[in-house]
Amino acid sequence: MTAVIETPQIKRQSKSAQMRKYGFFPGCVAKESCKELFNSTILLADKLGIELVELTAASCCGASVLNDTNRDVARVLNARTYAQAEALGLDDVITICSTCTGHMRAANKELLESEAHMGQANAILGKFGAKYNGGVTVRHLLWLLIDDIGLDALRKMVVNPLRGLKVAPFYGCHIIRPESVNGWESSRNPHSLEDIIEALGGEAIDYAGKTRCCGFHVQLEKDGIAPAMVGQNMRMAKDQGAEAVLTPCPLCHLALDGYQADSAARWGRTDLPTFHLPQLVGLALGIDPSLLGLNKHIVSPGLVLQAHDLAPAHVA
Amino acid sequence: MSFYLDIYRYDQAVDDVPHRDRVECTIPPNMTVLDALEDVKANVDGSISFRRSCRSAICGSCSMNINGTTGLACKTPVESVLRADNSVAVDPMPNFQPMKDLVVHMDPFWDKYSRLKPYLQPADEDSAHATERRVSPEDMHKLVAVANCVMCATCYALCPVVSVDPAFAGPAAIAYAYRFIEDVRDSKRKERAAQISDDYLWLCAHCYACSYCPKHVDPQDDIIAVKRATIEEGLIDAPGPRHALVVAKTIKHTGMLHETEVIQGTVGRFNIKGLIKVAPFGIRLALAGKIPPLFLKPVDKVNEIAVIFDTLEAPVLA
Repeated sequence: MTAVIETPQIKRQSKSAQMRKYGFFPGCVAKESCKELFNSTILLADKLGIELVELTAASCCGASVLNDTNRDVARVLNARTYAQAEALGLDDVITICSTCTGHMRAANKELLESEAHMGQANAILGKFGAKYNGGVTVRHLLWLLIDDIGLDALRKMVVNPLRGLKVAPFYGCHIIRPESVNGWESSRNPHSLEDIIEALGGEAIDYAGKTRCCGFHVQLEKDGIAPAMVGQNMRMAKDQGAEAVLTPCPLCHLALDGYQADSAARWGRTDLPTFHLPQLVGLALGIDPSLLGLNKHIVSPGLVLQAHDLAPAHVA
Repeated sequence: MSFYLDIYRYDQAVDDVPHRDRVECTIPPNMTVLDALEDVKANVDGSISFRRSCRSAICGSCSMNINGTTGLACKTPVESVLRADNSVAVDPMPNFQPMKDLVVHMDPFWDKYSRLKPYLQPADEDSAHATERRVSPEDMHKLVAVANCVMCATCYALCPVVSVDPAFAGPAAIAYAYRFIEDVRDSKRKERAAQISDDYLWLCAHCYACSYCPKHVDPQDDIIAVKRATIEEGLIDAPGPRHALVVAKTIKHTGMLHETEVIQGTVGRFNIKGLIKVAPFGIRLALAGKIPPLFLKPVDKVNEIAVIFDTLEAPVLA
């Protein structure tokens, strides 16, 4: 018997939310090395009955490094992205990366709080006929799931519950810190990922590493730093009984998935498969697992998924 | 109110391993964790050691871990951290060697600070200077936040990079470098930028853990400003600045952060040894089917992006 899924009512009052149509900023990594994140996001949006309108002219958010070269350029680039969303009549821009979330929100905050910054941005945007009026809110898909769809509605949509799968949430820094920029939930004790994991029928693991850094942004600066940070955090998760990790950030995904092999010598083998947020939500909501890119992981989630009867052997 | 302090106990002179004491504490409402420790030391166990002096978040002595996160005990109300079992755990700061109970060896922190020559070095000697050195309010404004640093080392204890590589200067030292690099009276901008670069400025992981600064110095913004200063001073022959500048270059040309070019540009296209070191990670990604494109299709209207870079004279890798 196939469960009939009703499209949930959207709770948020923004124009985008009411139209069920959002500006979509996938970010660079979801278009390059983590295409499975992009693809699973599109499939999940379809399942949720919302439309994600990709901002195809948008630039990189600055990725937390552009500020190291110039104090203004990232802010103005992001103003250009918001101007595109406004021109499409969209007031919510949805991201699927913690770093995009934090840096786009930081730029927006500066633009909205300083006439000088907004004036500078619009003077440059004016050279090619664009203007940002300050009407955009940047949010992560994680926040959309909780604020717009709601945990109760999500729970009702689950057709393939996670059957007690023990999942360690890993937030990534830029979706929670600094609180003055994000502030959607406590950065010291966030619980949105835990709420999602439990709504999907999984068990959320508590460990100190969940709000710590994955080391992605310094992986090329000096040998061994990122693997050590990954090893430290994954050891804590493993010791608390985690079978898998869930992250809203493809940069964290790359570091956690890619460096556990290097961290094993110092921190012991952890081998925790690291799911992108829309992969795990999509799996529980009944999206065909073979479409979620579960075979694109370095630490294969295959055994864990089979142990909980969540996906057949050939998909991961 | 009555609650339990769960205290880390260790004395390097006699103990092989630490243990914990759970001590009942009764204090009036609205008191701090430091008040509770003082009460316990005075009335229950005089052998408990912790640093404290001003009791009003000015001296920076009483930084410690409170329920697993670092902060000033004198600025933390007990009610705000009381756990479900009516207790508060106090531990020495992480990233330091414990000495006795909550007291740690601060030497590595002070050493990194001393290396900066943390005093004004004007172009002329004081003795040759007839009038006061004047600073405009705008120039002084940049130094106000960092002037509030009390060197409590909370940011250093919270820093995940220090936890895996003690060679990293840490947030407080870099904030102090900023304090002199941005001081218009100082004459050693380039030397200071070079010194802090040598102390692994570019190892900052952008994690914003130092945004929990109890004095709102928030070193993360100072760290970014110091990185900009090092680029302005031409100190760009290292992976950190090359990384920032090649990211800028690929965004300017394609609108995107082009992963494959960023890796080559950061490590160095002809740095065979360096490329071999990053190869295992790349091969692992490729074997998993995570193959970033070698050539990127630029985003729509990419010429607008170059206009932004050019107008702001934003630097990119040559």
